Amino acid sequence: MPTRRKILGGLAAALTCSPTWADVGTPAYIAAAREPDGTFALYGIGAEGADRFRIALPGRGHAAAAHPGRPEAVAFARRPGLFALAIDCQTGQVTARLQAPAGRHFYGHGCFSSDGSILYTTENAFESGAGRIGLWSTDEGYRRIGERASGGIGPHDVVRLPGTETLAVANGGIRTHPASGREKLNIETMRPSLAYLDEDGTIADLCEPGPEIHRNSIRHLSVRADGLVACAMQWQGDPFDAPPLLALHKRGSSLRLVGARGPLQTLLRAYAGSVAFSGGGDRVGFTAPRGGRAQVYSVEDGRLLQEVRRPDICGIAPHRNGFLATDGTGGVSAVGAVGLHTLTRANRAWDNHLISIEQK
Amino acid sequence: MRLALLILLLALPARAEPLVDAAIAEHIMPGTEKLSVEADALAGAAMEDCSPESTKLRAAYHKAFDAWVAVSHLHFGPAADEDRAFALAFWPDPRGTTAKTLARLLATEDGTVETDAAFARQSVAVRGFYALERMLYDPPAGEAAYACRLTQAIARGIARTTASMAREWPAHAALMRAPGAENPVYLGMGEVRRALYTALDTGLEFTAATRLGRPLGSLDNPRPKRAEAWRSGRSLRQVVLSLSASRALASTLQAGDKVDAAFARALSRAETLDDPIFAGVSDPVGRLRVEALQQSVLAIRHALATELAPRLGVTAGFNSLDGD
Repeated sequence: MPTRRKILGGLAAALTCSPTWADVGTPAYIAAAREPDGTFALYGIGAEGADRFRIALPGRGHAAAAHPGRPEAVAFARRPGLFALAIDCQTGQVTARLQAPAGRHFYGHGCFSSDGSILYTTENAFESGAGRIGLWSTDEGYRRIGERASGGIGPHDVVRLPGTETLAVANGGIRTHPASGREKLNIETMRPSLAYLDEDGTIADLCEPGPEIHRNSIRHLSVRADGLVACAMQWQGDPFDAPPLLALHKRGSSLRLVGARGPLQTLLRAYAGSVAFSGGGDRVGFTAPRGGRAQVYSVEDGRLLQEVRRPDICGIAPHRNGFLATDGTGGVSAVGAVGLHTLTRANRAWDNHLISIEQK
Repeated sequence: MRLALLILLLALPARAEPLVDAAIAEHIMPGTEKLSVEADALAGAAMEDCSPESTKLRAAYHKAFDAWVAVSHLHFGPAADEDRAFALAFWPDPRGTTAKTLARLLATEDGTVETDAAFARQSVAVRGFYALERMLYDPPAGEAAYACRLTQAIARGIARTTASMAREWPAHAALMRAPGAENPVYLGMGEVRRALYTALDTGLEFTAATRLGRPLGSLDNPRPKRAEAWRSGRSLRQVVLSLSASRALASTLQAGDKVDAAFARALSRAETLDDPIFAGVSDPVGRLRVEALQQSVLAIRHALATELAPRLGVTAGFNSLDGD
């Protein structure tokens, strides 16, 4: 049922003609892809997997962030990328080009403040190796307005806890330098963390996996409405001896690993791609593209509820009561109670992440 | 439901896809059949004489293991369902889970060995060839009569698992021959070709990185005891058999002369290596020769990527190779 606020918001939009996501066919998701000819694009995807819009990208994307109010997305280059593009999803025009400041590169993720006025980006201050969160003013053509410490090395993903301005940052712990490309420079000593940053940049909370799993790089995040954070990890040790690749965390408590260290863990190939809570929020799912699988666990008791197989499956987001997943063969699949069902398939390779558009 | 689907698919006119048909008819079906037959003989031999020193049992173990290695790269369809391939071949095992779990079963004389259905619920670590190898070549301490029943339970479990695979492959092959929107696994023939290519390439990757890479370790820290199935002297044999089987699959896919020549070079290196359990990795010269073999396996992968992948319309895994 439309709320008063939504009606008013709709009226306001109609009166001022300021476009909303409805003006671009109400996509529910955005995702980057590689086309068969080797070029790259950003797509808007409808709730049931159909294309809503397509915008060409100048290079390989990674993740994107959807503005909470207007139909505007920021597409991030894959690390160590130096550019991010703010795109008007109605016209397909690039409205702003974000250039990483000197001595910084992007990791490929970002998120907006609740009112959409600030974009936060994960960055590497690569001479010192310190992780940074960049701040950009969206109403001023994405002008760089500041940065803060991310609380660790290699901040890869960042999400905002709903209803707050607090950020949760996945500090992957792995130091890289553009001079040596994607080479990992500190595996022996890496210390990944999940950091919470208050609005003023204070590191309010920092959670680290225990020393015996210090090689479990916290890489991707998803957050539930109540602030519960899910972490997808990538194990940098012996791939045949990987700990669980999924963890849940609530501020103030310790990291809760989900799944068991054991023989079947090997099938995930030590690598989680993306993570999401289910539509209802009672389950958490992650993809393991190297293992060609996705696993779904109960949030309440950490039980494995479901495992589905699909080659190169990687993007995952909430969908109805379950999940929607994208893969490198162009499939968009629903993962529900009865398993995986591919809704649409196009001749393109979906890139790592499927981003939900949350409309105000 | 499954039967109805099978009948429906069998009734569909098979579209001409000779490469896929050849891979199924000449490689997948005979290989899985043979494995089931040899595993059945293995279970029979174990029931007849379960003693670890039994020549007949050891011979049957080697023949069945050979048959497994010849299809071990086909890690999809019925082999992936219920994690069957994993249950047959749980290795590498850096935590020693197989040995520990076998020791626990022996120490407690666990009753699950008495019925096949109960034993099928045991950890994959004790249900396959590597567990059987332990029981035959390096058995943990325990009472002989119980060890006998455990050996028999493992052998029967292998027979049951391989029989299920052989039984289900025809239905899966029917899915592979008739991809489409209604097909629950393969939406297009491209996905079928991709599954075959991935099986071929992943098998070679496993040989290079794991069968050879784990015993090689690093120059400072060679790990000969990490060689596959060294207790029964099979490490190099696994490599030779796996390369031969992969070569046969590549040939059904008409991978071409360059690929075949790359296989021939790697096989020739393997066959002349004269180091059955890669003990030589600790010695500079021996190490170089194992490294050369590893390089020649990587060269096959390269030849496949440049010769076969474009012809099959397969591109490398976009996300699985990403590393982000």
